[in-house]
Amino acid sequence: MQPTSELDRPELKARTFHCMGTVVSLTVPARTEDWTPAADAALAAATGVVEQLFRELDDRFSLYRHGSEASRLARGELSLREASQDFRNRYAEAAEWRLLTEGAFTPERPDGVPDLSGLVKGFAIKEAGAALQSLGLGDWCLNAGGDVLVAGSPIMGSRASWQAGIVDPQDRKTLIAAYPLGGGTGPGALATSGSAERGDHIWTSGAGISEFHQVSVAAADIVIADVLATAIVAGGIPMLNRATSGWDVEVLAIRNDGGILATAGFRG
Amino acid sequence: MNTSTQTALQPAARRVPVARNPFEGQHRRRMLKADLLTVIAWASLAGAVALWLADGGAAGFSSVAGAFTAVGIVAGLAGMDLVLLMLLLAARLPIIDGTVGHDRALEFHRKLGKPSLYLLLAHGVLLAVGYGMAEGLDPVSEAVALWVQVPDMWLAYVSTALFITVVVTSLVAVRRRFPYEFWYVVHLLTYAAVLTSLPHQFSVGGLFAEGTWQRWYWLAVCIGTGAALLHYRVLEPIVATFRHQLRVSRVVAVGHGVVSIEMAGRHLDELAGSGGRFFIWRFLAPGQWWHPHPFSLSAEPLQFDDDGGGRLRITVRDLGRGSARLARLKPGTRVAVEGPYGLFSTASRSRKHVVMIGAGIGITPIRALLESTPFAPGDATVILRGHSPSVLYLGQEVLDLCQRRGATLFHLTGRRPRGAQTWLPEKEARSGYRLASYAPDLADSDVYVCGPAGWAQNVLDDARRAGVREEQIHYERFDW
Amino acid sequence: MRIRAVVSATLASVGILVAGWQSGTHVTTTSSAVGTAAGTNGTGSTGTGGGTAGSSGSTGSSASGSTGTSGSTGSTGSTGSTGAAATAGGTFAGSVVQTRFGPVQVQISVGSGKISEVTALQLTNEDRRSVQISNYAAPVLRSEVLQAQSANVQTVSGATVTSSAYLTSLQSALDAAHL
Repeated sequence: MQPTSELDRPELKARTFHCMGTVVSLTVPARTEDWTPAADAALAAATGVVEQLFRELDDRFSLYRHGSEASRLARGELSLREASQDFRNRYAEAAEWRLLTEGAFTPERPDGVPDLSGLVKGFAIKEAGAALQSLGLGDWCLNAGGDVLVAGSPIMGSRASWQAGIVDPQDRKTLIAAYPLGGGTGPGALATSGSAERGDHIWTSGAGISEFHQVSVAAADIVIADVLATAIVAGGIPMLNRATSGWDVEVLAIRNDGGILATAGFRG
Repeated sequence: MNTSTQTALQPAARRVPVARNPFEGQHRRRMLKADLLTVIAWASLAGAVALWLADGGAAGFSSVAGAFTAVGIVAGLAGMDLVLLMLLLAARLPIIDGTVGHDRALEFHRKLGKPSLYLLLAHGVLLAVGYGMAEGLDPVSEAVALWVQVPDMWLAYVSTALFITVVVTSLVAVRRRFPYEFWYVVHLLTYAAVLTSLPHQFSVGGLFAEGTWQRWYWLAVCIGTGAALLHYRVLEPIVATFRHQLRVSRVVAVGHGVVSIEMAGRHLDELAGSGGRFFIWRFLAPGQWWHPHPFSLSAEPLQFDDDGGGRLRITVRDLGRGSARLARLKPGTRVAVEGPYGLFSTASRSRKHVVMIGAGIGITPIRALLESTPFAPGDATVILRGHSPSVLYLGQEVLDLCQRRGATLFHLTGRRPRGAQTWLPEKEARSGYRLASYAPDLADSDVYVCGPAGWAQNVLDDARRAGVREEQIHYERFDW
Repeated sequence: MRIRAVVSATLASVGILVAGWQSGTHVTTTSSAVGTAAGTNGTGSTGTGGGTAGSSGSTGSSASGSTGTSGSTGSTGSTGSTGAAATAGGTFAGSVVQTRFGPVQVQISVGSGKISEVTALQLTNEDRRSVQISNYAAPVLRSEVLQAQSANVQTVSGATVTSSAYLTSLQSALDAAHL
């Protein structure tokens, strides 16, 4: 009926799998006329690679899995010293983030048990992105539980960017904003954190109060986006200011009263 | 890790004595009283039997019929003793309420319900058999003969029927099918049951015959129980109602179906420290004056002037028809009040650290407790739990209090995973979080929990697994 | 203490019963079945929870130099203290911080004892010229941010959704459409 808009609208194919307590989806551009069984098999294979990667990290870092390295550390069966190189690397990275965010991001639960789940999902997305590039895929969008990393464009051969919507925390059925990702320029990663998430630490003596209900951060690197979004929710305005001045990021922060703070990239 | 850095800087800090637990003495005294009450309860049961023995009761065991009769009498005595204990447990005696708390007292009250009914039934059956054997009649004929021929015995049968009715309507499964009001009215029949049972004890029983020890014991116990009931359940509430002169001053909506009711009154300084404890309220408006509502204060009483004039606040959700009407209360409505009751207060503290966990409307007494209970900054953890942030009632007030007093606050929102025994939202449960993850000093803390029964049970199990002892657990039911 | 309650309740009950029986034997010569009567005194416990008093408070400081020492959490001192010295008024410069815009200095204007303005100055390396930084998050109206309908986005970002919440999320609708 409206041929022009039909042409403009990207045709996509997506595959999903469950991991890390959420759903991960991989989306690629796919013009109907080009969509061959071979292309379908390639997407399935790429999804398999991503899934494999996520599962390995989950097996090691999930506190939910009884036998994981993280669980054994939490139970005291293992000390950080005896942990695997991978685990120690991630822990060191997280500890560095704690310094960089002045404590707003922390790799530990209140009881001191190392909890790297705040970092591992972002890391998994980043690794998966690298794997997709090495498979020779140029256009894709990877979304793991609301954290997004893209490459290329949703329309093969074009320079159009991927349009990412940001959920309205008051009404999860609607979008509060959009942000263009990829398309040759600009950051390719977008992560969102909310104060309604995991055991949210609202306030403790000595720390700042979080005035944010939801914070989205766009950056070139998904780990940076993910960690800063979490840190801003925890650290409030001072952390928001540190993030916008210290890193090349765009931020959309929604206050508890519904008010919005946005950097230039998010303003229309 | 912070601690070790500080220690390195100030080696002297290691010699600082371990902070004293300011609640140790209070706790020891309360536990001593609890044990004493337990001893008194058992001693009263033993006393009832011992007095019967002292009056030569053991003589009955010389024949088979006599043995049936003797055991029947003992069952009746024990049953009567338990019924009186039940009445005392429900009489809201300050000594009981202040030692084990009103809802623990009611829990014992409920636990005694079935045993006492069984004892009373055994009393009837065994005596029918025993008397029947002595007279050469079968138990049924004997029972009929007792009904027809012995004065006052028909009242004892009525009493038995009433006891059965009261206990059966109080069984959890049956009670759920009827509105609270129905159960309440039926429960009042207990008094009729006790009163109708008395005549046969005096006339037929022969236990109260002149010159026996039992006569004085039972007279004292019955009159004492009656007086306690009259004083604590009738007189004190009337006195409190006239003394405090409460009137509804404002009804404010706090959330969907949740309202805060503010009341102004006099001498409210006398109620200081009762934030978190509950009162029984009767709003003297047409159609609902008779309906008692047990609600906790959701804030410390606020005092305006030197005479103790001030304001009280409760925060309620419409749980039943009665509560729904509360949202439409008009300012100026008079309020009758009984209380404060319960141990959801500083009176039950036993440790230096405190962890307060509230879910949904159960946050309101937590809010009041947080305001009043003493703790040093850093020694308290508050956890608010709800399906969504919108049901974390009084959340802003709790946040402000936490900031002011230096308590650590967590908001945990989201549904519980289906089929799992956890009090946490799905995400936290999956990540292996436990209560101790939020409160590192859990094992050495008082744990106050207020929320729906099933959920709260999971919190308590979690706490127990972390090494929290029963005496540290303070659980407020609010679904009764 | 629970044990204390059970033991003392049992002792008291037995004592009372024995006393009753003793005085009863003066009334009657029969004492054959007393054992049964005494047996009604169960040791079953209704006991309220008791507990030992005197468990200590928390043990505070631990020995230094332990294995787990890593970076400290401590938040650093705030810059706001500059204002304390300045009750009279004026403009004060904070320390220089390295950012992606180059070195930045915070400038605080104080009037009648209160901080009236906080300005971030960019100091470019070449000529130390001060430039106001533009990338900060400013309050905006909802209509001022980039708008989106679920029809014209290809992916959705939101606070982490659990597997079960995913089923009702916008992202799941998009994924389903692209199967």
